[in-house]
This record gives sequence, C-alpha cells and structure tokens, in this order.
Amino acid sequence: MKDIVLKTDNLSKSFSSGGVMQHVLKNISLKLYRGDFTVIMGASGAGKSTLLYALSGMDTPSIGKITFGDRVISEMNQDELAIFRRDHCGFVFQQIYLMDGMSVMDNVLSAGLLVHRNKKALAARAEELFASVGISKETQKKFPAQISGGEAQRAGIVRGLINSPEILFADEPTGALNSKTGLDVLDMLTKFNEQGQSMVMVTHDMRSARRGNRILYLKDGVILGECDLGKYVHGDRARHEKLSAFLEEMGW
Amino acid sequence: MQKGIILVRSNLRKAKGQTASIVMLILLASLMLNLWLMLSMDYKQNFDRNHSRLNAEHVTLTADDDSDEMWDFLSRTNEEDGRMAEFSLTHAMHMVGSFEYHSGEINSELVFLEKETALTRPVGKIEILEDNSKYTSGIYMPVLYKSEEIAIGKQIELFVGSNKKSYTVCGFFNSLMAGSHNCSITEMILTEDQYRKLEEEGYAPKAVLCSVRIKDKAESEDYESMLKNEVSLRYPDLRMESNSYTSVFQSRYISQMICSGIISAMAFFILLIALVVIASNIINYIGENMRNLGALKAVGYRSRQLIGLLLLQFTGISLTAAMAGAGLSYCLFPYLNQMMISQTGIPYQVRFLPLPFFASLGILAGAVSLTVVSAAWRIKRIEPVTALRQGIQTHSFKRNQVPLEQTKAPLQLALALKTTLSGVKHNIIIGVTMLVLSLVVVFAGLMVENVIADISPFIQLIVGETADSCINVTAEAEEEFKRELSRDKRVEKAYLYTSLEVRHVDGVGLMATICDDFTRVNNKHGVFQGKFPKYDNEIAISAKYAGEKKLEIGNEITITANGKAADYIISGFTQTSNNLGKDCLLTRAGYERLGELQNTSYYLNLEENTDIDDFNSEIKNRFGAQVNAVINIESVIAGASSVYVSLMTVIVIVVLLLSVIVTAFVLYLLVRTMLGNKKRDYGILKALGFTTGQLILQTALSFMPAVISSTIAGIAASSVIINPLTSVFLKNIGIVECTFTVPAGYTVAAGIGIIVFAFAAACLLSIKIRKIAPRTLLTGE
Amino acid sequence: MKQRTMVISLLAVFLAGTAVLMLLAAQDTDGRQDAVWVNEAVQSVQMNWDRLENHENQTDLDYVVIDMEGAVRFRTGTGLSESINEAVIHRDTILDIHKGGTVVGKIIIYNVSPQIFGEWKRTVLLVCLAAMASQCIICIGYMIYLQKRIVQPFQKLKGFAERIAGGSLDVPLEMDRKNLFGAFTESFDIMRSELKKARLAEAKANEDKKELVARLSHDIKTPVASIKAVSEVGAALTDDEKLWDNYAQIIRKADQINTLITNLFTAALEELQQLTVTPVDMGSRELKALLDNADYLHRAEIPDIPDCMIYADKLRLQQVFDNIFANSYKYAGTEIVLSASVQKGYLAVSVEDYGGGVSEEELPHIKKKFRRGTNTEGIEGAGLGLYISDYFMQEMKGELDVQNGKKGLKAAVRICLGGVV
Repeated sequence: MKDIVLKTDNLSKSFSSGGVMQHVLKNISLKLYRGDFTVIMGASGAGKSTLLYALSGMDTPSIGKITFGDRVISEMNQDELAIFRRDHCGFVFQQIYLMDGMSVMDNVLSAGLLVHRNKKALAARAEELFASVGISKETQKKFPAQISGGEAQRAGIVRGLINSPEILFADEPTGALNSKTGLDVLDMLTKFNEQGQSMVMVTHDMRSARRGNRILYLKDGVILGECDLGKYVHGDRARHEKLSAFLEEMGW
Repeated sequence: MQKGIILVRSNLRKAKGQTASIVMLILLASLMLNLWLMLSMDYKQNFDRNHSRLNAEHVTLTADDDSDEMWDFLSRTNEEDGRMAEFSLTHAMHMVGSFEYHSGEINSELVFLEKETALTRPVGKIEILEDNSKYTSGIYMPVLYKSEEIAIGKQIELFVGSNKKSYTVCGFFNSLMAGSHNCSITEMILTEDQYRKLEEEGYAPKAVLCSVRIKDKAESEDYESMLKNEVSLRYPDLRMESNSYTSVFQSRYISQMICSGIISAMAFFILLIALVVIASNIINYIGENMRNLGALKAVGYRSRQLIGLLLLQFTGISLTAAMAGAGLSYCLFPYLNQMMISQTGIPYQVRFLPLPFFASLGILAGAVSLTVVSAAWRIKRIEPVTALRQGIQTHSFKRNQVPLEQTKAPLQLALALKTTLSGVKHNIIIGVTMLVLSLVVVFAGLMVENVIADISPFIQLIVGETADSCINVTAEAEEEFKRELSRDKRVEKAYLYTSLEVRHVDGVGLMATICDDFTRVNNKHGVFQGKFPKYDNEIAISAKYAGEKKLEIGNEITITANGKAADYIISGFTQTSNNLGKDCLLTRAGYERLGELQNTSYYLNLEENTDIDDFNSEIKNRFGAQVNAVINIESVIAGASSVYVSLMTVIVIVVLLLSVIVTAFVLYLLVRTMLGNKKRDYGILKALGFTTGQLILQTALSFMPAVISSTIAGIAASSVIINPLTSVFLKNIGIVECTFTVPAGYTVAAGIGIIVFAFAAACLLSIKIRKIAPRTLLTGE
Repeated sequence: MKQRTMVISLLAVFLAGTAVLMLLAAQDTDGRQDAVWVNEAVQSVQMNWDRLENHENQTDLDYVVIDMEGAVRFRTGTGLSESINEAVIHRDTILDIHKGGTVVGKIIIYNVSPQIFGEWKRTVLLVCLAAMASQCIICIGYMIYLQKRIVQPFQKLKGFAERIAGGSLDVPLEMDRKNLFGAFTESFDIMRSELKKARLAEAKANEDKKELVARLSHDIKTPVASIKAVSEVGAALTDDEKLWDNYAQIIRKADQINTLITNLFTAALEELQQLTVTPVDMGSRELKALLDNADYLHRAEIPDIPDCMIYADKLRLQQVFDNIFANSYKYAGTEIVLSASVQKGYLAVSVEDYGGGVSEEELPHIKKKFRRGTNTEGIEGAGLGLYISDYFMQEMKGELDVQNGKKGLKAAVRICLGGVV
C-alpha cells in the first residue's frame, strides 16, 4: 500500500460570475499517493486546473476538505496557505510565469530563499537542478525574455523543485511549447518522477498523459474514471493502447 | 469622433479614483490660486481705494510745537514745494505712549486729536467704524486694536509718557496713515472733554499735525525727508515724527505679503502634483489602450484627433473643477479676510473679482493643456502594427543589478531593490515629492523654532536689536547712570544703543543707530555682509538703501547732522526692516564727529528672573526727571509679535497638513500604478509562497531607497537653502539674508519622521495586495 | 537612443564649460582694493603707533609701515615693497599715518592683483582642458559604441542576407534585440504572421454568420403550411384514389407537425409550469437554513451536515421538509431527531419522531395520492403532501423513504450528490 500524501473529501468549487453560480468541481473525493505521477485529464473547461489549484493550496475550495498529512489545508487562511505552498508544493505553469524583471537564476533563488537561509547550499542545489535540466551557467544569467520557451519552462521546473516539494504540480507544462521542446520537458518530468518525486499534472494532451502512471479523467467537475498505467513500462505499446481504450471509454 | 468619445468615457470610468483625485487637486489648486490672486491683486488696491475715499495724506508729520510761527513755517514750506497738492494743519498733542494689547504691550508715538477736528480735517480725516452713543466721554482707538480686552464700554489704561491714564473706549476708527503702531504714528481720538483735560494736565506736549497730499505719490518718501529736513534745520532740537505713503503702505501689508506668498507656493505645488497625476493617467491610459489606439490609427484617425480627445477630456474636467474651486475660495475668503484685517487694520469688503477669477482659470487650463499635450505626444509615435501587438517591447534588458546569488541583503530587501532599480520614473517622482516635503518640514521647523517657540530671532531680523530693557537718560546724567548700572548686579550687560536722525547728502534722511561698541550687541547678525563699524570713519547702512543708491562696501558717503558734515566708509550692510531700510549704524565716536548726543538710550540685558518693570521703575525713581523713558522691550515684543505667532502657527499647521496629504496621495498613485504593473509578478510570488505581509513589506521597501536618499538630501539641502529662500519672501521688507537657526535635533527627527511616515503610508496603501490571488494564474478557466 | 545620450552629454559638457567660463569672466578680476580693510589697517596702525612692535595685523592684507625717515617700523611679511619707490613700481597703495594731526609715517599696502590675475589664468586653462578632455572621451566612446552596435551587427546581417538569398531559410536569424537591426528584422516576420492570423479570423467570422443567418431564416411553420396547401390542391385535383390517399396522409402528417409544435409551446408548458423542479448544484451548508425554516416549533436539534455539494431545487426541497415536519407536528407532536450523513451518492437526512409510526399495512400506501392514514380523523389534510414530496425527490434524482423507526415514523430524505448523475 502506498503512502497517501493528499486526500480530499467532497471537494467542490464554485465561482460566481455575473450573479450566476458556476460549479466547476463537484464532490471530488480523491487520494494522491507518494511517488505517483498523477495525471488529470479532461476536455477544456472540465475543471482540471481548478482541481489542481485547489489541491495545491493555491485556492481554497468552496466546499469540502483537503488533508495533507495531518493538516487540513482547506481550513487555512491565505498566509498559512502561502507558507504551506512554499514548504510543500512546487509549481510549473503553462505560461511558465517567470518574472520578467529578474534573471533566470534570481527567479529560482527568489523561491528558494523563502525557505532556505543557507544561500550556499541553496545555490548548490540550484546548480545541480540546472545541470540536470541542461541549463548552462550563461543562460542562468539571462532574463526570461532573452531565452527560448523550452529553456524557460525548464527553468520553471527548476524553480518548482528548488525547495524539494512533496508534490510538484504542473499545469499543462507543455501547453505553450512546440512538440520537440515539449517532449524534452516531459522527459525531464518523467526523470524526476522516477527519482521519486510525486507529481500531479494537468493536461488535455494524450502524449503528455501517457507519462503518468495514474490517469484521472475529469468531466464537468466530476472524476468520471481512473486508469492505472503503472504496470506498463514507458514506451510500451500496451501502455498507449490501454490509455487509448480508457479515453475512448470516457468519451474523449 | 463618436468612437473617440466612447473611449474617453471608458477611460474616465476606469480611472474613477484618479479622475476624482484630479478633480480634488485642481479644485484645491484653483482655490488657492484664486485666493492668492485676490490677495495680491486686490488687497493692496483696497488701501488705495480707502486712501482716496478718505482723502488721506501721503506724508504725515507731527512736531511738538503748536505756535503760530510753526504753523506759518509749515504752511510756507508746503506751499513753496511744487509737488504738494493739498495739505492741512491741525492742533494735536504728541507723546510716546503704551498700552496693553493681546497680553503684550504696544509702544508707539501717539498723536491725540479731538474727535470733531479729526473727523473734519480736509486731508487725512478719520472715519468712525464703530460707535455707541451711550459713551460720550472717552477715547476712540484704531480698529486694529479691537479685541476682547479693548472693546466699546471697557476701560483702557494708557501710558502717556510715563503717566497712566484711564479712558472709556467709545468706539473704533479707521485711519490709513496713522492707524497702527506699524505706521510710526498712532492716532488716538479723544472726546472734547477728555482732550481738554489732557491738555490741562500737560502730560503730552502740544503739537501740530501736518498732513500733505502730493501730486505723485511715488515721491512721498522724498517729500517726507524734505519736510523733515526743513523743519530740523529751522528747529534743530524739536521732537518730531513722520511717515510717508510708501513706508506705511509696505509696513501695513507685511503679513499679507507673507501669507499670499505661502498660499501661492502651495497653489503651485498642488498644481504640480495635479499635473503629475494627469500625466501619469495619460501615460497609463496610452499603455493600457495601445491596442485600441493602434486600431483607431489603423482605421484612419490622426494623432492630432486622438490627442485632441484627451485634451478635451482633461481640460474640461479641470475647467469645471477650477470653476468650483474658485467659487469655493469666495466661501473661504471672508475667514482669511478677517485674519488679514486683524493684521492690517483696514476694512475690506469681499466682492467678486473677475480678473483673478479668469486669471486662475486661465493658468490652470493652460498648465493642464500643456501637460496633456506633452504627455499625449507619444501617441504620435504609436505605429499601428506595433500597437496591435500591445507594444511588446515593454521590458528593456538591463544588467542584473542585484543578483540574489551574490547579494548580502536579505531576500525581501533584495527583491525590493530590484523593483526600485527598475522604476526610474517612480524614483524621480518620489524624489521630487520627498524633496518638497523635506523643504516644507524644514520650513515648519524653522518657523516653530524661530517664531512660534521663541520669537526673538524673528524680531531681531525684523526690528534689529532686542534686549530686556531700554532706558533713555539725559546726557548730563549719563556718567552717573553708567556707574549705577555697573554696580547693579542684576545688569548683565548694558550698552549705548540710541537712534537719531541723520541725513545722507546724496540721498534721504537715515535713522542712525549709535552704539559705543558694536561687539557688545545681542544681534550679531545685524550686519550680514561686511562688518559692524569699528572706527569713527566707518558706517554700516541698510542693504536695501544701498541697493537703491547703488552703494557698495568700501564706498565713502557724506553724512550731515546738526549742520556739520563728515565722510564715512561703508563697512557693512544691515538688513533690518526698521524704517523700511532707511537705516544706518555709527559708532559713538563716529557720530561725535557731527555733534554731541542730547540724550542716550541704553539697552540692558538683565539677569534672568529679574522683573523688568520693577527694575525700570526703580531706575526711574532713582534718577527722576533725568530719565526720559523706560521701555520693557520684552513685553513690547510680546505685544507686537502675538499676531505673527498666531499667523505662523496657522500657516505651519496648514502647510504641514497639506504636504502630508499630498505625499500620501502621491504614494497612493505610485502604489496603485505599481500594483497594476506588477499584478502578474505578485501573483507568481504569491503562488511561490510569499505571504501578503512579505509582499507589502517588499513594496514598501522598494520605495525606501528613493525616500531615504531624497529625504536626507532634501533635509540637508533645505537646511542650507531655507534661509535664502525665506529671505526671498521677506525681501520687500528689507531683509536680504535670513539668519534663522535651523534646529538640528528637530530636523533630524523630522527627517526620520518623514521616512517612517512614508514607509507606513506605503505599507497601508499596498494592503490591496491582499486581494491579488494566485488563482489569477489559472489557465483560461 | 545612445545617439541622444551622446548629443546630450556633449551639449552638457559644452554648457558646463561655457557656464564656468562665463562665471570666471563675470568675476571681479581687477583686484580692487578692499577699502574697509585698508581703513582697518590704517586705523589700527594709527592706534598702535607708539607700540608698533606689539601691533598685530587685523586684516588679510600685507603691508609695511615706514616712518618719515623711510625706516621700516612694521612688516606683515617678507618680499613686500619696503620703500616708496619700490611701492610705486609695484603699484602699491601708499597712505599717510596721522598722529595728533601730523603725518608721522606711511603705510604701503601690497598690491596683490598680479597673483590674482595669475590664479585666474590657471583656472581658465584648467577648465578649458577639462572640457576638451571630456568632449574627447565622449566622442571616442561614441565611436566605439557605433562600431559595436552598428558596424559589427551590420556585417553579421550581411552574411545572413546572403544565406537567405542562397535559399537556406531554416537558419534562424540570431535575434539580438540589443542591436538596432534585430528588432527591425523581427517586426517583418511579426507583421506577416499577424496578417495571416487576421485573415483566418475573418474567414471564420464569415462562416459563423452564414450559419446563423441560415438558421434564423429557417422558419418552422411556413414550409409546413405550404406543404399542406400544395397537398390539398393536389388532393382536390387528383382522381386516383391511391394518390388521394397519399395526399391525405401528407395533410394529416402536416397537421400533426403543426399540432406538435403548437403543443410544444403551449399546452405542455402550461401543465408543467405548476410543479417544475429545477435542481441545481448547491452547497450542503444551505440545508441548515432549510431545516431551520421547516422546524418552526424548534422540536429538533439541527445536526452537523457533512460538507458536500448536493443536486437539489432549493424551493422544492424546502417544501419537502416543510411537509415532513408538518406531518410530524400534526400526527405525532413529539420531539424530533434529525441526522445527516453521506451514503454512496446521496446526502441522507433522516427525520424521526416519537409518535409511534403507522401500521405496517398502511405503510406501502402512505405516499399514494389522496391516501390518508387511519389516525387522521379530525385532522385536516388532503392526503397529497407525501405524494408531492415523493414526486419532488424523484425529480431531483433523490429518494424519499418513509418507514417505521424504533419510536415513531422515520422519513429519510436522500438528496443526490452533485456530480453523481
């Protein structure tokens, strides 16, 4: 039995837009396990990102409970959530969201220094991560606007991992990239997962989804089905077929 | 055009807060501008209006001789001079006198007139403003002195010379040329019985009051000095007192000038802020609507039309607000007027003044249009294609000035510094604001220290020399008097400080102040350029007079008195506003080259806790008739200065309040802009785990380098330039160089206060960061 | 951009230089004698004449005092003119020293204008040199800048253009935005892609519009009416019975369509509107208020309701609870026990009283229309409440279950959870 990292009970999220309530997530009860590469799939508008942001403490749910270890994050206030995020979560965004006014290195360090006081150790960790995603010293000194999208997203991954988070949350990490650089990024994420990093990724792209070992299919705010790809190795044809069959069943 | 108007409307609606603040600022600016223009354009004219209404004189002279011979002489002298238009002579009594006013003492040359005579003089008649038929025997006072203690029906104690008299106050009158102690002659009107009584008592010598209207009022000073010269040539030892239109006019409007100067400074300051807001609004607007503007241009709008739209919008708003502000100023003007009347003592009727009204509208509309056009000029540079791409090159690639890897600074500070370094425009705005604020604070400190807390520096600047007591003795008793003083332990310092009239051969009569040794005077700043006279051939003259006569230090001038003449080298310039600059300093030895002193005034510094009045009366008893006069200088100053103190207090409070508001407002705008620009960054930082508190701290800190450096620079620079700056304000009253002490402790504390205030305000204003949610980073759902 | 910096700095240097030179020119360089100091010197010497050895110079002038014999009585320093002749040659100031009305000596005040003039010359020289040097530096700096920013990139661009001309379009243009051409070449590419995008968007908008127009122009009834009219004409004209039958069939069907449409808009609506149930997703927290409203006699304690999203019509659910509580008030009149829990797909709220319940044989009929229990005599009612409540719950995809509990009647309202259907 795997460790449970995060658990939700009847998690629901509603937005009010123009006086009309919109229910994006409905009674989602879900467990996330340590070491898993969980992929949340679904058509656009299914509530994938909302779920991701609720799980990661970026946003508070309207209804329901989210438990992380023995802490109930759905009951935290904004500041407690912020501290929770910096200590336990890493993020990779579709739009990458590096800060324009800072160099790549500073983007990473600004997240890292929040948690770690030891600048030297932190710089060493950043160096290690940069090396493993293949970002050169020179690129680290550049500003986001001066580097390519692929480099930026790799820097984004470094930023997401700098604080050694329990879970790395990735929101369509390849959405803004071309297919080649997208593949690079996916390889990187797979590699970190194989090293034991728990991950939750939102995508509506089958190629990306194939990388996960647990696929959740979200439709109209409800988890319609779940598929376990864990027993197939990466690159196995069967893995692809199993996923295709699952998605077909879900009406993809 | 239709579309353009829609654009303008949406701009207004989106920037509601800013539009409201522009309206407020323009309203305030227009209010102040209009007040200032009314004060400076019409207030002085009021004097002339009153002057001609009462057929008032241009030169007044009173001489302690009421003989027919004197009358003949004066008539002849006046008639012989071609400049004279009209004159009248009146019987009067003249004596130095004093009375209590506003818990101080007014000390002036009093001229007593009989009521009917005063009301019917052909030239220089008075006008009764308040009267009560119940009281038929008593005194009428200049309306300036109307106060709680001095009111109709109450008793007033008046010292005539050193004799105490008590009168019932029957009413108040307005006299333009002799209605205030600032005029050097103060008229007092007695009812007939009281006049006769005083005449019989003989406390005040009989005198003649000569009032002359001349054809060209610009020559009033020359005429005055001519008249005085003629009289003193004929009657060398005669006591007399005189004034002229120019000197009275200036001295009665000192506070009005200071006040309008400050109001104008505030008005332009607020206007400046309003312009900054407008410019930033337009720049923001252009930034936000780059795409729309590009589209409009692509459709075929010309830049001029787009600029015209903005112009229409802002000028329209400004004109409306300015009109309201100018209107509002008429509601405030009566209060200001009341305050001013208590300073000038001349009634003023508030009425609509079209010229200042339209002038302030014009100034505001012009300034706003200019700002709008220059800020909107960049519309011309928008290329449709680039604009449609939302002006992609917004970020320039600068050096990474604060690499987090190397910096020693803590994270918050380092991030704040990054923000600071990327916002040059913000830093400049902050810098300018804080510079102005520091100047204001230093000014306030200067005023508190030198006027409100202890007025003597201010008085020394305006009057020249102050001490505790002044005693005038006859020349015969001088030796004995000096011996007595040197024996008395209460006397810390005593020095000759006597004033009398001499004449500059190529110029006018000067009031010479004579001291045996100028190293002993209290006001070491009396001579601000060059040095005090030391040898018998040296003289110091007032800078104002020197400027008029184009004299320089080192020049030699000829002075006459008592029919003798001697040459003196100008050793330095003084700047007292006494006698409006017709002033000079001589050593005793220097004066004795012209003649002997008939009587001598000594200034005394007394030990602390000595009752000055007791001391004075003691001396008076001891020397009897040989003492001509004793003056308690301290209480005279208190009396003369209480109005200045209250005026300054009001000014300081208003100025401080306004600048605090304005600073807070500028910070508000900057924080708003920053939050707008950095919304995405704040979202990211929040997602990464920065708490609201940390981000607020960061934002506030990012302002601090500019705040701290400009405050320090501002305080330092202000401390240096505040004296010259203040002297610009006071230039008209003969002050060339202010020598106020800048309170160091206070200034440092104020600097720290400003910084803390700016920090707190920035924190408070950036509390909106709370509302920025990382959720905004959600992808399209 | 840099060009402006260069022009501005050159102008600034020029202006600063001019200003300094103007200031220097405006300065008094004629070295006029300070009359006050001279007076001070003369006066102090006169005062100290008898004890000149104790005399101290009070001024910043240099002077020599000689007596009538020409002997030096006092000097402030060396190298000064010490006789009348020397003084005349050096253009010094010579004044008499009086004592008791007679001239007793001379004071020779040293002329310092040559030194002042020399100093002035040096200052001017320095200022000029500084200005020229800074202009020089700025010019050299600008040349280096031009070389780096324009000449070198231009050479690079030349190579690129040759490659393009050679047809190798795959090689990306190195876009160094700092150089002036980077942004320039980039904007061409951007313009092309923007135009293409715009054209695509326009085509799509046209397509949408056509579709919309087509749909709107499609009237429902007109074609049906014309079918019918044509068929009627056909039926009237034909003699063939089979054909006539076919026409009749068409007419009937057309009438049917018409009726269906009319029905759809009128009759069907009317009936349904009375009891429409429109369930939506809502938070379970709102139940608390519903129960509070229903239990207006406060016979029950409202329990904690599990936080979840339910699928219900708030108005109808309120009516269901109102009915259940009203029944309990009417027939049992006891305390009521409330409980709520989540059970596979439902939020179940059970309402139980202590009224003893109903008999087993009546239980199956209790939810039927116009059916009332045997214990209802004397109590008003139509026997519709539970029937309607049951209908509502079904419409909300939930259930209403009425059973005998331990102490009394137990109604279980099972509300469907949001997202389950």
